[in-house]
Amino acid sequence: MAEAAGEVPRVAGGPAGWISILIPAAIFVWLVQLVPAISLGEVILWAYDWVPSLDIRLSVILDGLSLTFALLISGIGALVTLYSAKYLGNHPEYPRFVLYLMAFMFGMLGLVLADNLIALFVFWEVTTISSYLLIGFNSDEAKSRRSALQALLVTGTGGLALLAGIIMLGNVAGSFELSVILSQGDMIRAHPLYVPIVILFLAGAFTKSAQFPFHFWLPNAMAAPTPVSAYLHSATMVKAGVFLMARMNPAIGGTDLWFWTLTIAGGFTAVFASILAMRQTDIKQVLAYTTLMALGTLTLFIGAGTSDAIKAMMLFLVVHSLYKAALFLMIGIVDHATGTREAEVLRGLGRKMPVTAVAAVVAAVSMAGIPPLVGFIGKEFLYKAGLELDQGMFWVTGAAFAASALMFAVAGIVALRPFFGKLAETPKPAHEGPVMMLTGPLVLAGLSLYFGLFPDTIEAWLVAPGTWAVYGDPTVSVDLYLFREVNAAFILSLVTFATGAVIYAIHRPLRNWLGRIFEANPIKFDPGWDRVLDGLKALAAWQTRHLQSGVLQRYLFTVFATLGVAVGLTIWARDALAFDLDLSSELDGLLFKHWAVLIFVAAGAILTALTSSRMTAIVCLGVVGIGVALIFIMFSAPDVAITQLLVETLVVVLVAVAMLKLPHLDLPGRRDKRPWHGVLSIGVGVVSSAVLIAVMQGDIDRRLTDYFEITSWPEAYGRNIVNVILVDFRALDTFGEIAVVVVAALAAYALLRGTHYKKPVAAKEDEA
Amino acid sequence: MELLISVMVGVMIATGTYLMLARNVLRFIFGLILISNAANLMIFVAGRLTPESPPLIPDGADVPPDIVANALPQALVLTAIVIGFGLFAFALTLVYRGYQSMGTLMSDEMRLAEPEEDRQ
Amino acid sequence: MSWLLAAPLIIPFATAVLAFLFRNGPEGRWISVMGSAALLIASGLLMQAVLAEGVVAGQMGNWPAPFGITLVADLLSAVMVVITGITGLAVAVYALADIEERLEKLGYHALFQVLLAGVCGAFLTGDLFNLYVWFEVMLIASFGLLILGGRRQQLDAGIKYVTINLVSTILFLAGIGLLYGMTGTLNLADLHLAVQEVENKGLLTVVAVMFMVAFGVKAAVFPLFFWLPASYHTPSVAVSAIFAGLLTKVGVYALIRMFTLVFTEDVDYTHTILLWVAGFTMVTGVLGAAAMNDFRRILSFHIVSQIGYMILGLALYTPLALVGAVFYLVHHIIVKANLFLVAGVARRIAGSTELSAIGGLYKTAPVLGLLFLIPAFSLAGFPPLSGFWAKYILVKASLDLELWLVAGVALVVGLLTIYSMTKIWGNAFWKPHPAGMQPKLGSLSGRDRASLILPIASLAILTCVIGLFPEPFVQFAERAAAQLLDPVDYVATVLGTEVEGATGLAQLEGIE
Repeated sequence: MAEAAGEVPRVAGGPAGWISILIPAAIFVWLVQLVPAISLGEVILWAYDWVPSLDIRLSVILDGLSLTFALLISGIGALVTLYSAKYLGNHPEYPRFVLYLMAFMFGMLGLVLADNLIALFVFWEVTTISSYLLIGFNSDEAKSRRSALQALLVTGTGGLALLAGIIMLGNVAGSFELSVILSQGDMIRAHPLYVPIVILFLAGAFTKSAQFPFHFWLPNAMAAPTPVSAYLHSATMVKAGVFLMARMNPAIGGTDLWFWTLTIAGGFTAVFASILAMRQTDIKQVLAYTTLMALGTLTLFIGAGTSDAIKAMMLFLVVHSLYKAALFLMIGIVDHATGTREAEVLRGLGRKMPVTAVAAVVAAVSMAGIPPLVGFIGKEFLYKAGLELDQGMFWVTGAAFAASALMFAVAGIVALRPFFGKLAETPKPAHEGPVMMLTGPLVLAGLSLYFGLFPDTIEAWLVAPGTWAVYGDPTVSVDLYLFREVNAAFILSLVTFATGAVIYAIHRPLRNWLGRIFEANPIKFDPGWDRVLDGLKALAAWQTRHLQSGVLQRYLFTVFATLGVAVGLTIWARDALAFDLDLSSELDGLLFKHWAVLIFVAAGAILTALTSSRMTAIVCLGVVGIGVALIFIMFSAPDVAITQLLVETLVVVLVAVAMLKLPHLDLPGRRDKRPWHGVLSIGVGVVSSAVLIAVMQGDIDRRLTDYFEITSWPEAYGRNIVNVILVDFRALDTFGEIAVVVVAALAAYALLRGTHYKKPVAAKEDEA
Repeated sequence: MELLISVMVGVMIATGTYLMLARNVLRFIFGLILISNAANLMIFVAGRLTPESPPLIPDGADVPPDIVANALPQALVLTAIVIGFGLFAFALTLVYRGYQSMGTLMSDEMRLAEPEEDRQ
Repeated sequence: MSWLLAAPLIIPFATAVLAFLFRNGPEGRWISVMGSAALLIASGLLMQAVLAEGVVAGQMGNWPAPFGITLVADLLSAVMVVITGITGLAVAVYALADIEERLEKLGYHALFQVLLAGVCGAFLTGDLFNLYVWFEVMLIASFGLLILGGRRQQLDAGIKYVTINLVSTILFLAGIGLLYGMTGTLNLADLHLAVQEVENKGLLTVVAVMFMVAFGVKAAVFPLFFWLPASYHTPSVAVSAIFAGLLTKVGVYALIRMFTLVFTEDVDYTHTILLWVAGFTMVTGVLGAAAMNDFRRILSFHIVSQIGYMILGLALYTPLALVGAVFYLVHHIIVKANLFLVAGVARRIAGSTELSAIGGLYKTAPVLGLLFLIPAFSLAGFPPLSGFWAKYILVKASLDLELWLVAGVALVVGLLTIYSMTKIWGNAFWKPHPAGMQPKLGSLSGRDRASLILPIASLAILTCVIGLFPEPFVQFAERAAAQLLDPVDYVATVLGTEVEGATGLAQLEGIE
């Protein structure tokens, strides 16, 4: 088990490690062989009837969009697991880590491949749970625990909104199958529920993809081990929201609401995140913010919605995944080797860590958008699409430009500066990373270069089929190229480089200045989160203090008040007392003995309630009991009366005996006067009387009794009908009744015997 | 008569409720006794009242004479009385033990299961 | 048929007698385990019969309905009995390691079995007054179990539990009297017909509301739930687990039964009240849980909150909503009992249930961690666990009726549930133990470990199975809900008369 493994180093994480590498690798290979078919525009559908009663199927839709995502998930997954096997392979909890990571990958793959929206949601939540466990992996640290909870609750909230949206969309479209829904875009957009559906879907997507104002959880999620960050932030978790928007685009996209919500949120997130990235010195944190920037950009272009914009989005999606995963893995190696991730400390590592440096620099160049890396193409097409927009051209292009320029500078800060210049002192002496950890960054960097040089491949394999799926039109032509002519986009690129270079040059004073600005800014999201949580706790505590006060008297008051109010209001609302009371016939034939008994009982009851003397109370209870027995006798129930007398005697005796050991009813000088309780009690009494009187109107249906009277002697051989009912017709009641009495005796015995052991129990409790 | 008994039952329920709402749990027990009686009477009365003709089949007859009291509610009340006694006996024992163990009969002083200090 | 219906009553009673006779030796506990196993088998056979025949009824003493007492099982009753058998067996096995000898000598096993008998009786009876009797059997046994051990905390909790429950009991009794006075019958199926003849419908609604309050106390709904969070954290773990699983559910069952079979004359009114009750129960319960800092007390408040979901299913009163209610009942019993069992193991190895006093279970007791996460996430309604389907169905049912607010409340309460589950997880499992302890399952003796973990693992597996393969369970719940919504079969089987018209399912399909 995990506990013992710490002592003997595991090779590549042991069996858990190998399994974790082989599974995604195998999936990747399998997916790759599907690429040719998909790139020709084929869409593979497959389904398993999961819960047909609820119209839920585990169905798969494999088109350009899902294939692109699935390739990224499994491909980067394989590299990340390879990396983790070395990075965490000897961690005592490594097998658990693998379990969570596999669950996460499984969830992501299911999410992107799902055709059924409920199935998609199921996988969506699988990623939520597994990311919770991954982010909180360093569970000893309070910070990890907090970040994990934050991610869980923020994305969980969105998840719930998404679920509601999915159900509503399903009701509108008449199916949960995407392959059905996506073709009904016009009908859905015209439906009155369209706006709430969009809002709910976007709530899910924005929280998952950390769009402003839900962005704050993502940088905190850096508390996870580096391979997790690399995985969650490049190809998976945070892209799930983007995926959802892209997936739903044909069905719910293309309206003004969609356009403006996405472009504003996306553009703002992109620029805002880039600026925040400039503030950081921890390279991992910087990368986290650049992830936000990328997510913002993707959202921005999904919102823009033209075929060019979608094309650019699909390309940038791949571009970003490649360089971001490489850079995260790189910083993990550096951290591992030097013991720090501070941009201000790390300098000149290139000589000690040449391979890492190569991978980092290639990835960074792609991130900066410099030719001939694929990042350049990505940026060019973003610009091109932005500049050709009819609506919101300045906003979209401007946001893309600002973000790209800042990215250029950030690329220099995080990936170039640490490797060049004079070697600086680090907590641990720098050394090159192991092969297993270098493989990932190198492969990813290599791909960034390859796709830059040969954009036709990525165009045919991924971007074109992806665009068809997201744009909802398989006739859109996609043509990627590194450079063809000097156009507006190219010129804007040059301006970007210049601007980026300037920012890089002044990044230190800029950082200080931003620091001061953000210090002064009163709106802080992360502490705001704490306040929300504190508010929730305070609300919960307040409510519970008042509701569950711990005082029995209040509990009982509430119960009786509920009864009185509910019954009273119902009488009023349902007009239950609509009958004529014939007083004269009611009072007809009343004898003195009747009056006497009634008055005795009532007086006894009232006196019991009001007296502060125990003895008076007991005597009064006795009077009431006997009075009730007399009523039974007067109205032909001798058996009941006898039992009543017996029981009542026992009751009085028991109470009297108990009272020998119990204190007086009231404290000296304090009488039991409670006007409000009096009002409630009278109310309950009045309501009860009223209902009983109402029930007594009209005759009772005596079918049952008639049957008993007829069969009692001929069939059950008893002349006392009450007894026959008890022992024959309703023998099961009597059986239960006996059980109650026996068990009551048993329980009372346990109570009396059990508490003798008071002292030892208390001691045991302390040690337990 | 039904009307007056109904009113009396109402009085018993009101006083029982008042007692059950008291601080002193012994009063709750008093209230319990009263209100149990009231509930039994409710069943009894709901079956309608028939004076002086118990539900018995005379020797030699197969069925009771013309009109006898409704036997079913009587059987139910009998069961309810006995069950009610069982519950009462346990409740009384509990109050008694509770006093011995916690030293009070005042329900607002019984704060062991839900102590005050855990509500910040 | 009668034997099949009576077996779930006879077996636990017989077991109780035997267990009481052998209470001083180790035989008692094994008798309890075997009796519970026998109950499970019997309930399985009953379920088989019900699945085959729709509704099964038996007239006790061979007196025809509605004159004698009828035992009757439709699908809801049958599944409740099965789930009672499952939980009973799980807790009986758990008790092998959890219940001290001292408590066994005081009659723990006998009380436990009587409790099971009372619960089964309540599920199976077709007679209103008999239902009262079974409620009392269950109640008095639960009194005994709650105070067993006699710690001061238990006595305090006992007083609150006993007093409030007695109020509800008497109210129930009074309600029976009133309903009898109006209809002249006690048989539930007969009542279904008799209430239609009642002239003063308003009065019928008033009585319905009285029953609602009486059962509302038992089911622990807002604002009547106080007894539950006041007491469930005080008895032995095995006791609180069986309480958590079954007791309130008997109240919910009774509500469902009465408000689908008898009180359906004024649905607009009664079920609207239920809807509000459901909403407030969900919210106040989950907020109560958020305010607690003790493993078992958090769980106790969650029972309240989850009851709200079940009542919601009843309140919406559509086929799908009742499917949700039935599904929720079954799911919740398994999951909630299991969480209490986990809490008990955590206390055994980490020393307390107070969250500030424990920790470190994640590192050194990973198996327990997994066994906690499964029911915890299921409770919060995360897929692919049983709770997700339960929640999904209810949310969908609300949205289908365009009750946006209700659906929103149901969803948000799910979120708050996950919040307090992670509070337990973060404190008891992730956080290092404040005293530097390293709680391990290995610190238990092999026998104890087996009898503690086996039931937890079995229930967790059951949760996963329902979650991963929900189809048969949903289909079952659909059939059960159809029977509830259209009790023609129920009434015909009990009264032994052929009622004309389509059967429940066929009619339901007609509606769709």
